Amino acid sequence: MGVKMVGARIKRVEDPRLLRGEGAFVDDIDLPGVLHMAVLRSPHAHARVLSVDVGPARELRGVVDAFSAADLGPDPAAIPVLFPVETSRDTPQYALARDAVRYVGEGVAVVVAESRHVAEDALELIEVEYEVLDAVVDSAAAIEPGAPVLHAAAPDNVGARLVYSVGDVDSAFEKADRVVKDRLDMQRYTGIPLETRGVAATRDAVTGELTIWASNQWPHILRGIVAGILGMPERSVRVITPDVGGGFGTKAEVYPEDVLVPLAASRLDRPVKWIEDRNEHFLTLVHSREQTHDLEFAFDADRRITGLRATLITDIGAYQRTLAVINSSLAGTSIAGVYDIPNVHVEVICAATNKSPASPYRGAGAPESAFARERLMDIAARELDIDRAELRRRNLIKPEQMPYDTGMASVEAAVVLDSGDFPAALDEALKMVDYDGFAEKQRTARADGRLIGLGICVYHQLAGTGPFEGASVRVDPSGQVTVNSGAAPQGQGTATMLAQIVADELQVDHESIKVVFGDTGRIGFGVGTFASRNAVMSGTSVLMAATKVREKAMELAAHLLEANVNDLELEEGHAQVKGSPQSRLSLTEIAAAAAPGGSRPPGMEPDLESVQYFENHAAPYSFGVHIAEVEVDRNTGLVEISRYVVVNDAGVIINPMVAEGQIAGGVAQGLGGALMEELVYDAQGQPQSASFMDYILPGSLDVPEIEVGHLHSPSPLNPLGVKGMGEGGAIGGHSAVANAVADAIEHLGVRVTKTPLKPSVVWELIQSAGQQGP
Amino acid sequence: MSRKVDETAVVAGADSTTERSITVTVNGERFERTVSVRKSLVDFVREDLRLTGSHVGCEHGVCGACTVLVDDEPVRACLMLAVQANGKVLMTVEGIAGEDDELHPVQQAFWENHGLQCGFCTPGILLTTYDFLQEKKNPTSGEIREALSGNVCRCTGYQNIVRSVQAADQEWER
Ligand code: FES
Ligand code: FES
Repeated sequence: MGVKMVGARIKRVEDPRLLRGEGAFVDDIDLPGVLHMAVLRSPHAHARVLSVDVGPARELRGVVDAFSAADLGPDPAAIPVLFPVETSRDTPQYALARDAVRYVGEGVAVVVAESRHVAEDALELIEVEYEVLDAVVDSAAAIEPGAPVLHAAAPDNVGARLVYSVGDVDSAFEKADRVVKDRLDMQRYTGIPLETRGVAATRDAVTGELTIWASNQWPHILRGIVAGILGMPERSVRVITPDVGGGFGTKAEVYPEDVLVPLAASRLDRPVKWIEDRNEHFLTLVHSREQTHDLEFAFDADRRITGLRATLITDIGAYQRTLAVINSSLAGTSIAGVYDIPNVHVEVICAATNKSPASPYRGAGAPESAFARERLMDIAARELDIDRAELRRRNLIKPEQMPYDTGMASVEAAVVLDSGDFPAALDEALKMVDYDGFAEKQRTARADGRLIGLGICVYHQLAGTGPFEGASVRVDPSGQVTVNSGAAPQGQGTATMLAQIVADELQVDHESIKVVFGDTGRIGFGVGTFASRNAVMSGTSVLMAATKVREKAMELAAHLLEANVNDLELEEGHAQVKGSPQSRLSLTEIAAAAAPGGSRPPGMEPDLESVQYFENHAAPYSFGVHIAEVEVDRNTGLVEISRYVVVNDAGVIINPMVAEGQIAGGVAQGLGGALMEELVYDAQGQPQSASFMDYILPGSLDVPEIEVGHLHSPSPLNPLGVKGMGEGGAIGGHSAVANAVADAIEHLGVRVTKTPLKPSVVWELIQSAGQQGP
Repeated sequence: MSRKVDETAVVAGADSTTERSITVTVNGERFERTVSVRKSLVDFVREDLRLTGSHVGCEHGVCGACTVLVDDEPVRACLMLAVQANGKVLMTVEGIAGEDDELHPVQQAFWENHGLQCGFCTPGILLTTYDFLQEKKNPTSGEIREALSGNVCRCTGYQNIVRSVQAADQEWER
């Protein structure tokens, strides 16, 4: 075999176009004659819609169409919930609000016009009569009796209730030597990709096929759902996700506009597009993370956790769309982390509020549960007077216990940790950061009046969710290799990774391989790019297809060379008899022979192509340890991160450069959540953070250098041994930083139980500690 | 109740209150166009000149995705009107690479150091870097972070961008 590409730190094949400004994001696609859609959005968090008159808008010059829910028939289809549970209530969203609006920003009517300017002007002419209702914005208040009710189908505002139970938790608590508990809150924040959402659609006059371009993470799922709502056969709808400027989970959704734009294009038989502006983005993007955790640990005398009991309230916002209870389910089933806790009981209440609907954002439930668990771990260490690293080490699942069945199953699958050495990862991270020297460093700093702290987060993440992914690999008669994948990446370097895999299999230059994805017209079935599934799912399906192509090429070569296939080897894109490179055939020659009419052995089908689907029934888990060191300015409450160490284990790494980029990007988002990002609503449900002025994203001065160490426990669940890892940074980042801030100030006599730890919050905590400082 | 409201901004033909004719030089090429006075410079560059490498991330001057150089100074093209660029010389991301189509050393450095993921912020960051390095040699990483503090990147966590700028500083003969 030649050079091995899997594992190589090589630069990305996707970059030159993007660096030249030749990327093609949705808004860059030139559709001659395109019309522009704008959406009239509810200014109220909760109101009955008594009437909508789009008539005046239609009169404006340049307006081509305007419509509201009344124009969409008496019985439109709603956006479906993909994974309902037994307790799920029907609280669906329609493309446009029907009789009520339930969050600020919910679409009430649309205008389609010759320009976006005109479309927005026309929105102001639409007359809507609202009867304003009381809104509820706090999830705990929403499930109290007497709270304003969002949906008749859920009179207690409970969208669903999930219970996960293992062992006998009550007896564990009865027998406990000590119990430690607290309420830990994570705020509402979300992905906020730099490219907002966008949708364009046009119907082909000849074939009648509707083509949709969307800034989206799951084209095949979008196609199925939009075709269903529009009442079209799937084969008449093609969805293309072109270059996508970040998603982080927020674009793995079907939004009202994903239906409205194709609908408008079909009504008018002209291309229509809608590009979300940043204000709309803040109001209507899926929000995430907002969850309250009442968490308690039962400890025995050896400080082993014998029981975990938790009640979680997830704020799911106003509607349940495609991924409704996923966050809640993944939070509930991941809250024990990689600790060996025999008795667990978790109840998760999904509470409806008058806010934008919630759905997964990078980490999907795991950042929330990790924050609660890892924060309580530190609180327990302080209360029980034991070193926090030692407390974790004592409770970690041991390598000899792997694979470790937690006994729980999320809505996705049974939670079984497939492989890994958690204590080794912890020790490695502690060594990298010189944990043993930190206590002394902290004492010295405190003596100088400085507040420094160190925070640890041990986490795991679901890393390759199913149920399948599809790929085709083809060597055409000119010898060019093309890969089609059901993936729909948003910057993860997937084209490079898939090319690396195929390059190893076919022994061709990875740069010569064309990787195409995000197009339902290219491959029959696909799932998409979310939940860190690319490496495992797309990678394995592409490997399977490439292997089949290679096998067929070798068989055909054996036929052409009149040799035994077992005597052949593939080198540098040529099949040759082992040790005699003088009798060899290039892949191009083989592919030409494979074309219809070529010279094949009897019974062999023409063409050198394979379409394969990797179906998995169990997903691997990757894991890691993050350690942050911070300094808190006691006068301003400002937190500066001085050191950041990550030990990550994602099995076999396809491209370490890309993997480290994922870690760094994830950590930046995690620390954003720990320190600054928050989607704030006032008591009436009015969003207070609807621009980059009020929602602060981490900038170049906020994110530290991140030191990464890798461990490699290959997953036994796929032939590459890979595990996904794109979300880990955001999971570890939030809690490591929050724990570090807590460590810097909790000796003053305060307790950190919520985020974000904005300067004002930290300053107030320090003030509340009074004068009892060091 | 039919109200006929006149929307003048889309009327074809010149109306000097709503449209102006402007001349700009972009990436060395001269363009004369009639534009709506309410059109932003970034929309003009993207829609009228079809140079779609400049991106729109916020339209309120915070993210830097729309950064272009106007008379050699970085400008947020979402905050400037197209008519204000009349007579000026612009450079957009499409103009960074040389005539020979080779990547510019700044672009090459971002490629080699994985300085981009989704690439949406990249054009603005490249132009900010281009301008910064023209004025500064051997910057420290602190100075680089300072220079980039007006450009948001949601994907990379910045450290590979900093490395890219450092590498560009070394490689770019200027
Ligand atoms: S689009 Fe101009 S600064 Fe964001
Ligand atoms: S690379 Fe995606 S925003 Fe910077």
